[in-house]
Amino acid sequence: MTNFDLLLQQTINGLSLGAMYALLALGFTLVYGILELINFSHFNVFMVGSFIAMYTLQMFGVSGQNIILTGLPLIGVLLVAFAVTMLGSGMIGVVIERVSLRPLRNIKGPAAMITTIGVSYILFNIVLLTIGADSKNFPNPLPPAQIDIGGAVLRLREVLIWAVSFVLMVGLYYFVQKTKLGKAMRATAQDPEAARMMGVEVDRVIVTAFFLGSALAGAGGMIFGLYYNFTSFIIGFTAGLRAFTAAVLGGIGNVPGAMVGGVIIGLIEAMTGQYPGTAWSDVIIFGILVLVLVFRPAGLFGRLAPNKS
Amino acid sequence: MITRRAAAQVLASASLSAAVLAAVGSATLSPARAEDKTIKVGISLSLTGADAHSANLIANGAILAIEQANAAGVIPGYKVEIMKLDDGTATAGQYDPAQAATNARKMVSDKDVVAAIGPQMSGAGKAMAPILSQGDLATITPSSTNPDITNPKFADQYRPAGKPIYFRTVTTDAFQGPNMANYMAEVLKVKSVYVLDDSGAYGVGLADAFQAQAEKKGIKVMGRDRLDPKAADYTAVLTKIKQLNPDALYYGGVLQAGVKLAKQAYDIVPNMIKAGGDGMYGPELLSAVGYPANEGWYATIASPHLSGSDKVGEFSRLYQSRFGEQPDDYAITAYDAGLVIVDAIKKVAASGKPVTRDAVRDAIQTSKVPTLQGTVSFDANGDLADRTVSIFQIKQDKAAKADDMDKQYRYIAVAPQS
Repeated sequence: MTNFDLLLQQTINGLSLGAMYALLALGFTLVYGILELINFSHFNVFMVGSFIAMYTLQMFGVSGQNIILTGLPLIGVLLVAFAVTMLGSGMIGVVIERVSLRPLRNIKGPAAMITTIGVSYILFNIVLLTIGADSKNFPNPLPPAQIDIGGAVLRLREVLIWAVSFVLMVGLYYFVQKTKLGKAMRATAQDPEAARMMGVEVDRVIVTAFFLGSALAGAGGMIFGLYYNFTSFIIGFTAGLRAFTAAVLGGIGNVPGAMVGGVIIGLIEAMTGQYPGTAWSDVIIFGILVLVLVFRPAGLFGRLAPNKS
Repeated sequence: MITRRAAAQVLASASLSAAVLAAVGSATLSPARAEDKTIKVGISLSLTGADAHSANLIANGAILAIEQANAAGVIPGYKVEIMKLDDGTATAGQYDPAQAATNARKMVSDKDVVAAIGPQMSGAGKAMAPILSQGDLATITPSSTNPDITNPKFADQYRPAGKPIYFRTVTTDAFQGPNMANYMAEVLKVKSVYVLDDSGAYGVGLADAFQAQAEKKGIKVMGRDRLDPKAADYTAVLTKIKQLNPDALYYGGVLQAGVKLAKQAYDIVPNMIKAGGDGMYGPELLSAVGYPANEGWYATIASPHLSGSDKVGEFSRLYQSRFGEQPDDYAITAYDAGLVIVDAIKKVAASGKPVTRDAVRDAIQTSKVPTLQGTVSFDANGDLADRTVSIFQIKQDKAAKADDMDKQYRYIAVAPQS
C-alpha cells in the first residue's frame, strides 16, 4: 500500500465517520436553532434507534452477517427498516418534547437542558436494564462487495452510508428551504414571538423539529449498526460527544454548518488515527475546536445572535 | 345449628391450640443447638458492562463452593454468607476502579466479612488492594493477572500495611504475555507484530510484557497503539496496521474494545494472525462478534485448561444443573478460590481461635489445598505457585452451539515457558 493509497483509505474512513457525525449533528442543531436548547437526549435516541433497527432487521430473519440479500429484497428490507427506525425514533423525540420539555417551555435558565440530561440517562438505563450490557451482534444483510482503488478499498457499506446520509441531508435541506412547514421553522428559529404573531403554530413547529431531529438520529443509529456490525447501550456517549463537537464547530443552529462540521471531525479522527496515533485524536479534535471558537466564537458558519434587548 | 358465640369460642380455642402446638412443635423439631455464627465472604466482580457474562460465570463458581461448604457443614458452628458486589458501572461500560474502591471500603467496614473473592479485573484490583491491605482483608482473585499488585517492588503502593492480601488462583501477565510471545516465535514463526492495548491497567501491562519478550525473541515490533474502549471506530489504526503489514497483531485488553477490534480487524486485515490475552477469552467473542469475524483468534488464559475435561466432569454437571450453563476456566479458578477460603476458615475455627480477618489471611497464606486445578499454594507475595498459561484458538465447530466456550475455543497447548 503506497502512501497515496493510505491517504485515500484514511480519507474514505474519515468521510464515513464524518457522514455519521453529520447526521447526528444535524438533528441536534435543528432543535437548538429553534429552541436554543442543547438536547442531550439526542444521542441516546441515536442509540435506541440502532436497537430498533436491529430488532426490525431480525424480524426479517436477518441475523449476524451470514444472511446476505441482494437486489430488490435487499433494498426492500433496508427501506422498511429505515422507515420503521426513523418513525420509531421520531416518535420517541415527540414524546420527549411533549412530556418533559413542553411544560418547561417558558422557564428561563438551564431547567430544560438539565431535563434533557435526565431523559438521556433514563433512555440509557432502560436499555441497559432490559437489553443488557454486552455488545450485540448487529444483523447486516449487505453483501461484502468492494472496489479496489489502487491499494485502497471502498466497501459497499461506505457507499451506503454516504448515499443515505446524502439523501437525508438533501431531504432535510429541501424541507427546511422549500416547504411551508420548513419556512415556519426558519421563522420560529429567527424570532418565536414574531413568528407566532404572523400566525405560525409554534407548538407544531417545535414538535416537527423534534420529530425530524430524532428521526435523523435513529437513521444514524441504523447506519452505525450496518457499518460496525455491532451496537450496545453505550454508543450514544462517544458518538454523541464527537457529533456535539461537530455541531458546535460548524456553528450551532446552522444546518449546513453541522454537515461540514461532521465531515471535518470525521476526517480529523481518521487522520489522527494514522499519524500521531489514536491516543492523540481527542486532544487534537478538541484543540482545533477551541482554536476555531477563539477566532470565530459562533463556529465556522454561525452568526452571533444580536442581543435580544 | 351452632350459635355465633359458640362458633367464635371454638375458633378462638382452635387458634390458640394451633399456636401453642406450633411453638412446642418447632422447639422440639429443631435440634437444640447454639445459633451458627454468620461470617461473610465478599465477592466483587464486574457484573455490569462488557464483561458481565464472564463475571457471572465466575460469581457462580465462587457461590457454588460456598453453598456446598454450608450444606455439608464443613465449618462447624459457622455459616458463610455471600456479599455480592458489582464493580462495573453503566457509564464506564465495564469495570470502574472507583466503584471497585467503594466496594473494598464496604467490605472492610463490615466486621463480619473475613475474606473476599475477586476482583475480576486488574484495574479494579489496583484500586482495591491498598484499601484491603489497610483493612487486613485478604482476597483471592480468580482472574486478575497484572503482576504489579503482588510485586514486592510496589509493596508501598499496593500493600501499605505490609502483609500480602492479594492472592491469586491464576498466574500473572509476567508469564501470560511473554509465553504467548514465545509461542508466536517458536511455533507460529512470526517475524513481525503490531501491539495494541485498551489503555486499561490490565491491557497495558499485558501488552508491555508481551512486547518486551517479543523483542527478546527476535520478533520485530512494528508499532504500538492505544485503543479507546469507548470509541466505536478503529478503522484508522487498523488501516495503518494494514499498510505496515506485520505477520501478527497482539491485543492486550478486555472485551469492550476487543469485540469492536475483532469485528473491524476481520474487515480490514482478515488474514493476519491475531492474538489476545485472557481478556479475549470470553463468550462475548462468540456471541457479539460471531463468525466469521472471530475465526482464528488466539487467546490465552493464566491457568491450566480444565473446563470440559473429565477431571472436572462432576463439577461441570453440578454447575450446569445449578446455574444452567457450563463453567469456563475462570469459573473453575473461582470455585477453587472458594475452596481455599473455606479451608482457611475451617483451619482457623478448628484451632479454637476466633475467626478474624487476620487469622484467615494467615491461613490462606499457608494453604496447601487440593482443588480442581491441583494443589493450590501461594508464594510469599500471594501469587499462585503454579505458572501455567494455556493457549486457545477459535475454530468454528458447526455442530456445537455458537456460544459454547468449550467447543468453539480449541485448546492448543500450554504456552512455552521462557
